[in-house]
Formats: sequence, structure tokens, C-alpha cells
Amino acid sequence: MEKMIGIISCNYGLEYPEGIGERRPLAAIPFAGRYQMLDFALSNMVNAGIRTVGIILPSNIRPVLDHLGAGKEWKLGRKEGGLVILQGSDSGIFPRSNGFLLRDLQKNTDYLENNAAEYVVLSNCSNVVNMDCRQAFLQHKKDGADITLIVKELIAEQEDEFGLIAVTDRSGWVLNFEQAKAKSGQSVQRFANMIIIKRRLLLDIIHGHKNIEYEDFMEILRIHASKLKIKTFSIPGYFGRIDSKQTYFQRSMEMLRPEIQKELFWGSRQILTRVRDRPPTKYGPISSVHDSLVSSGCLIHGTVSQSILFRGAVIEAGAQVINCIIMKNCRISRGAILENVIVTKNAMVHPDTVIKGRPDHVMVLNRDDGF
Amino acid sequence: MPKKEWIAMLLAGGQGSRLGVLTRHIAKPALAFGGKYRIIDFSLSNCSHSHIDTVGILTQYKPFLLNSYIGIGSAWDLDTSDGGVHILPPFVGEQGGRWYKGTANAIYENIDFINSYEPEFVLILSGDHIYNMNYEKMLDEHKAKGADVTVSAIQVPWEEASRFGIITTDPEGRIIKFSEKPVKPDSNLASMGIYIFKWKLLKEALQKDEARPGSENDFGKNILPMLLEEGKRLFSYDFQGYWKDVGTLESYYEANMELLHEEPGLNLYDREHPVYSTIPILPPQYIGPNAKVSNCLVANGCTILGEISNSVISTGVTIAEGAKVEHSILLPYTTVLEDARVYRAITGEKAVIKPHCILGTESRSDQRKSSIAVLADRAVCGGSRHA
Repeated sequence: MEKMIGIISCNYGLEYPEGIGERRPLAAIPFAGRYQMLDFALSNMVNAGIRTVGIILPSNIRPVLDHLGAGKEWKLGRKEGGLVILQGSDSGIFPRSNGFLLRDLQKNTDYLENNAAEYVVLSNCSNVVNMDCRQAFLQHKKDGADITLIVKELIAEQEDEFGLIAVTDRSGWVLNFEQAKAKSGQSVQRFANMIIIKRRLLLDIIHGHKNIEYEDFMEILRIHASKLKIKTFSIPGYFGRIDSKQTYFQRSMEMLRPEIQKELFWGSRQILTRVRDRPPTKYGPISSVHDSLVSSGCLIHGTVSQSILFRGAVIEAGAQVINCIIMKNCRISRGAILENVIVTKNAMVHPDTVIKGRPDHVMVLNRDDGF
Repeated sequence: MPKKEWIAMLLAGGQGSRLGVLTRHIAKPALAFGGKYRIIDFSLSNCSHSHIDTVGILTQYKPFLLNSYIGIGSAWDLDTSDGGVHILPPFVGEQGGRWYKGTANAIYENIDFINSYEPEFVLILSGDHIYNMNYEKMLDEHKAKGADVTVSAIQVPWEEASRFGIITTDPEGRIIKFSEKPVKPDSNLASMGIYIFKWKLLKEALQKDEARPGSENDFGKNILPMLLEEGKRLFSYDFQGYWKDVGTLESYYEANMELLHEEPGLNLYDREHPVYSTIPILPPQYIGPNAKVSNCLVANGCTILGEISNSVISTGVTIAEGAKVEHSILLPYTTVLEDARVYRAITGEKAVIKPHCILGTESRSDQRKSSIAVLADRAVCGGSRHA
């Protein structure tokens, strides 16, 4: 494969400050029991043979750096290339947008200048997907595109703002961009926040727009759509986009479906993540667990169904956890009943507490909430 | 090479013949244990937590899996630039070469390796014990007592004492007698096969022992009695905690099952002393809608659709719908297919139990006495009915 480097932007939060995203950027949101959102973008790049990946840090750098370490788990602890930590442009404000701020790229032109790679893959961390980036790259080369936009064809579940989407001809060449508003049931090519581009072209674009730093990269592409050869590549398999508490909950619950587990985690391309050396999970003599994804190091004496337990969760005897996401090191005390609830890291739910959300409106409990 | 205060030498050449088919293709220290570990993880994690950064691992019997498992020791934070893990198989020099004859001979053959670090002390370890221990405390006591040798020891039940190397001490803990597997033990203090030696003294003792005709070149049988005879200062270090030699099928089975106790002797959940291991990055375990899980230890990457109880289920195991597993140890990537039954059994890595097949004997009141069914690595139980 041609020399290619990656850039992953961790500089974006959830669109709505609803508990789970408040202290963490989307990149560091825990997912499916042991992963963080960043793992999908990073693993997809590494699995395509990319050996140098730049990570643009968010304003709250700790959860991202803590997860990445030296990049060993992703085979990025290397002498040449490997994991490259890049500075984000933002300090203080939390951008809610889901694209790429041009400013983030402008800050890091050194990384792009000092590398001989011909191509760059840009991605953010909003999607749960295990995709073969090589296929997208092969198409990019074969068609001689300047830019390949990775998209996913989705049927809109409800009336939805899709932001800027690409209008293409039948073979996928982009004609122009427009603000899309999809009606329920309508098929839309949703931008997966991932781009393949020649490194020199990316630098030209960055240098050519020195003065409009707040601009989103997609907006720049819209301006140049007529001059550039932009093509779309459609992701064939499972694609889970997360942009709110509710979509986070929905995507999480989709992980209980065996066919999705199989596609995401048991194919030839592994999703890699930080290893934490927890012991196996222990199920007590009277535990009752059904249709759940359980990570290592948990202690389960109570009832768990249709739920996701992260590492080190403790479910005491008599506790009931139904349709919940219980994050790392939480303790659900005896007699507590939780339904349609997300309990975030290190929280403790006191005995006999009853908290019920609705499937379409989940509750979020944080450590400081005092339950 | 930089001078070190101490280095560890880990004896990992054991064949483990008493573990039967489980160690037919791998060395005993590489045998899977406790759902996600291999036996050697415990000694290597102990080294890591005791701030030992240089470990020589003596291998001999079928070392391939063990070598690839250990790698450069990064799983145990032992991949340091001025020390690290060194795999030391038997080798050939100008005078020819040979297999390691005994535990002491294995160290004797690697005197040059140890010399290169000029250590003051050498810690000798076995790669086939299950325990969490901080060797630094033992070293502190070794120094405080001005000992030539310190032997870590643990109280064992009197009826089992004749299976071990038994230590008799004076009130200060100085060893006055050492008897290897005595018929009539006069103490129940058993040697754990963990020794700290002053390197200078050990080197001389190894050279002397090597020159002795008829010596078995074994630490317990030859080196310790010889030093005792010479009036050297040998002390016992009283270890408090869980320690288990898993050299037999029964003790291996028992040690796994003890992890299912409500308060197991071995605490795997100690955040201050995690046991490290090298495992593939697998998704969390999935427990299916009709599954029943009771009193089990289950590792990552498992898919449990059937019923499991009182069992240790290792990394990547699949239990199909309708299958039932009781009182068993399933080693990594075992597959139990539809409506199969596994009772009081140990299944080797990647073993397959075909649909409707029964492995082991269903639990009865005299179950404790019935023998343990063992399926070898990659073995298939149930022939080729649907092949």
C-alpha cells in the first residue's frame, strides 16, 4: 500500500451536553463494555496498514491521553512514525460541531509538511464502524479522485437535519453540496466524517484559507466542489453514528445483536483498545444474567438483562439492572432497581434506590448525583 | 551492562508430566489458568510488582508457546532497555552442550549470563506456582538477617507435608534441617522453591556441586543440604498468603475451583497487585437471552448461550444453546456445541465438544471421588457424526 498517514480529530463533543459527554470529548466516550469511540477510527486506520497517526487533542486532554498511552495496543509505539500527538486549536470552548475545523489542521501543518506520505486519511470519532479503508483507497486511486468522501447510505428514521451533504451523479462523483433535510423513510448519503486526500492538496487548501480559520473543512470543499474531483465511497456494513445521548444509547443496545457483534468484533479486522489487565468476571451462585454484554473484572450477584456492563462493575445481590449501561467501576447496591439508565464511571447507586427512565428518554446518573 | 542489586532466574523447563495431555504440547508454565492467565503470569507479575527488572527464564521442554507468550515481557512491564526478560534455553559452547540436568545445573550453565549483571543477590523462582507475593519483603528480611540463603516457606497441612521439601528451623528462623519429601516429617513448614542467594556464594556452590559425582544438581536435594552442612546461614522466610503448586491434575483442578469460592484465597481483584497477562484484545463476553450462569468465572470474548455452573470459562469460549457445563474448566477457545454436556472435565485449548455429546460423568453424590475427564488441546469429543 502507498504511504499514507492518518489524522484523527478528537476535538469534538456530543452535540448536546447531557451528562455522558459533559466531561469527555466524544472520542473518549466509553462504548460496548471496553472500548472508547476513538478505537474505531484508530483501528480502521491501523488495520489498513497506516503506521503513522496524528491525534488532534481536545481541550480536555486527559481521557484521550490516558487511553492511548504510547499507542502500544494499536501497534503505534514505533521508532518511525507511530502515534503522533497533535495540538488542538481549542482551549476553553467545547466545539459541538462534528466536522473538521480548518483551524485544527492549520495548527498542525508541520506534521503534514514533515512527512513524505502521498496520502492523508482524516477522520473524527463519531462512528461505530469496522471498515476496510483499503477498499476506499483502492477506489480513490483507480478513479483518480482528488478527494474521497466516506459516506453511509442511511434511511432517515425521522425528519432529520443532515447538515451539509454531497449531491452525486450515479457513479458517485460529487456535483455539489447542499444543506439536507431528510423526510422520514428517505434515503440519504450521510457523510461519515472521513476523507481521503492527497497530502499536497490538503496543504494547498490549508494555506489557501489562512484567514478563515473557523470554517469547517466541508464548507471549504463546497466552495471548491466544481474545481475538485470529489467522489464518494459508501461503507458497506454496519455503521452507527453517535451524536446525542439517545443515539449513544441506541447504538450501545445494538451491540447486543449477535450479527452486529460478529461483524464488528469477530472479523479479520480487530478493533484494538487499551488493555487493563482485569481478572475474569465472577458470577455468583444466585446471579441471573440474560442478553447482556459483560466486560472483565465485574462481580455479579444480582439480575442483569439487556444491559452493557463495563469493567469492574459490581451488581450486588437483589439488585436489578434492566436495559442499562453501567460504566467502569460502578456499584449497584442490593435491592436497587435500574431501568433504561446510563450510570457513568465510578458511580455508586445506594441500596433500594429505584430509577427508571424510558427507552426513548434514558436517564443518566453521574457519580456526583448522589443516588 | 549495568550492575544490578538483584535479578531473578525463573525455572520454566518443567515438562509437567503429571498434568497428562494438558502439557503434551506445551511446557507447564504455559498452561492456561483461572480463565485468562497462564501459570507463569503469577511469577512474572510478582517480579514486576517487586521492582525486579531483569528476569532470566530457563526453558527446555517444548518452549515454543511459552517463548512466544513471553515475547519481550511487555505484558509484565519487563521490556526495559537495561534489563528485561531473557529466554535461556540450553546451548552449545566450545566444550559441546547438553540439556539442563537439574534445577541447579540450569543456573550453573548460565553463570556467564548472571555475571554480566554483577548482581549482589539472585532470586530463584519456579514457573509453576500460583501465588501473589512481593519478593522485596523477602529481600529485606534476607538483608536484615545477614543470611547467605533465604528460603521462602509456607505452613502446609501435616498430612501433605511428605510431598514437599520440609524445613526445620530454630526459634530465630534459621534453618537447621532440610529434608526433601520426608516419609516422617518433623515440621509442616514447606519450601516454596523460592530462594534468595548471595550471588557470590551461589556461584561457588554451583561450581562445587557440578564437580560432585552422582549429584542430581538439584537445589532441594543437593545445594541446600550441602550449604547447611557447611554451616552457612540459611534462613526461612515465613510467607503468609495463598500459594499452590499446580503440578498434578488434581491440584490444578482444585486451584481453579478455589477461585469460585466466595472469598478465594487468591485475590485476583487486588488493585495494588494485578496479575498481568498477554491476551488478545477481544470484545466483552456475551450472555445470551436463554443462558444460565451460576457461580462461574468467565473471561472476555466468550459467548454463553447455554447453561454453565461452578466452572471456570476461559477467553474466547463458545457455549451453544442447550449445552450444559458443570464443575469444569474450559481452556481458551473451547467450543461446546448444541445440547452437549460437560461434567467435571478439563477441556484443552480449542477443543470441540460436538452436539449432543457428553464429556465426563454427570454429578452424583459421590462426585468428589470421580476422576476428572480431560480433553487434549484441539481434540474433538464426539467423533465425526456430522462431518
